[in-house]
Amino acid sequence: MAAKRITNINIDWTALADRVPEAQRPLLAAFKAKSDGYLRRMIANPQQPPKIDWSYYTSRVPVKGMVADFQKQYDALAIPYPKDTYTSLIDAQEKEALKEIAEFVKASNARIASYEEEVKRLKSLVPFENMTMEEFFQAYPEQGFDPKKPTFWPHIPEEQPGYKGGPEAPAH
Amino acid sequence: MFSRVAFSSAVVQPCRQLLAVRCAATTSSSHAAAGSAVAESPERDLTNFPRPVRAELPGKVRMGFIPDEWFTFFYKKTGVTGPYTFGVGLMTYLFSKEIYVMEHEFFTGISLAIVVALLIKKVGPGIATFADKEIDKIESGFKESRESVVRVHEEAIASEKQEQWRAEGQTLLFQAKRENVAAQLEAAYRERLMTVYNEVKRRLDYQAERENIDRRIGQKHMVSWIVSNVLKSITPQQEKESLQKCITDLKSLAKA
Repeated sequence: MAAKRITNINIDWTALADRVPEAQRPLLAAFKAKSDGYLRRMIANPQQPPKIDWSYYTSRVPVKGMVADFQKQYDALAIPYPKDTYTSLIDAQEKEALKEIAEFVKASNARIASYEEEVKRLKSLVPFENMTMEEFFQAYPEQGFDPKKPTFWPHIPEEQPGYKGGPEAPAH
Repeated sequence: MFSRVAFSSAVVQPCRQLLAVRCAATTSSSHAAAGSAVAESPERDLTNFPRPVRAELPGKVRMGFIPDEWFTFFYKKTGVTGPYTFGVGLMTYLFSKEIYVMEHEFFTGISLAIVVALLIKKVGPGIATFADKEIDKIESGFKESRESVVRVHEEAIASEKQEQWRAEGQTLLFQAKRENVAAQLEAAYRERLMTVYNEVKRRLDYQAERENIDRRIGQKHMVSWIVSNVLKSITPQQEKESLQKCITDLKSLAKA
C-alpha cells in the first residue's frame, strides 16, 4: 500500500504555546515530551536497513543453495506498513472539538453582544452635568433629593430620626 | 434681559459653577448601575427644544457686573461707543437731576468698590483655580463610576475575543496529534525492517561462522592425527637406525 514515509515531525510549538492559556501549560509540556519521545524512537532506526552482502555469504556458506534461497525470499519480502487506525479517531475527535468550539464561540459572541449593549447604554445616558435634580433623583433614588421626605442636616444616616444602631442602640 | 442676576459672578477670572447636588453619601461606585435613562414622553420635541446643557462659565460681563448683551444690544444702531455714551449720559442725567443722590454712603461705596476690585484682582484667580479643582474632583468621581464600568466591559470583550482565538487554536493541536501518529507508525515500520534484516543476517552469519569453525577444527584435528600417526609409524628398528645415524653424524662432525 502506498505509505507516506516521513523523516521528521514538524509541529509549530511556538504557535501552539501562544494559543495555550496559562492554566494548561503543564499539559502542553507533557504533550511535547511525548511527541519528542516518538521522534526519538523514530530516529533510533535508519529509514532503510543496510544492504546485505550476498556475494560474501555465497562464498562462505557451505549449505548448497541456502544463500540464493535466502536472497530470493529476502528480496521478495514486502513488509507491511503498520495500519493507521488512529487517524480516524483523531478526525472524530476533531469534529467534536470543532462543534464545541463553535458553541463556545456562539456563547462568547452572545456575551460580547450583551457587553457591547451595556457599553452603548452607558454611553447614551445623560451625563451627570446635564441632569436636573429631578432626573438624578429618578435615576438614583437613594442619593437624590427626595422632596417628599427631606433629610435633616448633616444629611448622614446617623442624624436622621429613627436611626437604629450606634452606641445608644439597645444591647441584645 | 433682566433674567441674569448681574452680581452673580463678581469674580473676574471666571470660575465654573458648582455642581449643586446634595448627596447624602458621595460614593462613586453606587452611581454606575442604576443609571437608566430618564423616560421621555414621546411627544417631547428634542430637535427644536434640545435638552439644556449646563453652562460651564458664567455669562460674559463688562466692568465686573454689567452683562455683555446690554452692550451688544446697542452695536447695530450706534456702533461700539454707543453703550458707553448712553451710560455716561444716563449717569449725568441721574446725578444732575439728583435722582441718584451723592450722599455720604455714595463715597463710602466708591471706596468700597475700589478695595473690592483690588481684592478680586489679586486673590480671585487663586480662589478660582482652587474651586475649579474641587469641582473637577467631584465631577470626575461621578464620571468615574460610569467610565470604570465601561472599561470593565471593554476589557471583558477583549478577553472574550482572545479566548475565541485560543479555542480556535485547537486545530493546531489536532495537526500535532496526527503528526505524532505518523511518527509512531513510521517508527514501528522501521523497527520491523530492522528486525527482518537482523534475523536474516544472524542466520547467514551463523552459517558462515559454522563453516569457519568446521574448517578450523578439521585442520587442527588433521594436524594432530598426522603427527600422531607419524610418531606411531616410527618402529623401534627405525628408531635405533636413526639414532645410530645421528651418533655417526655427530662423530663425523666432532672430528671435523
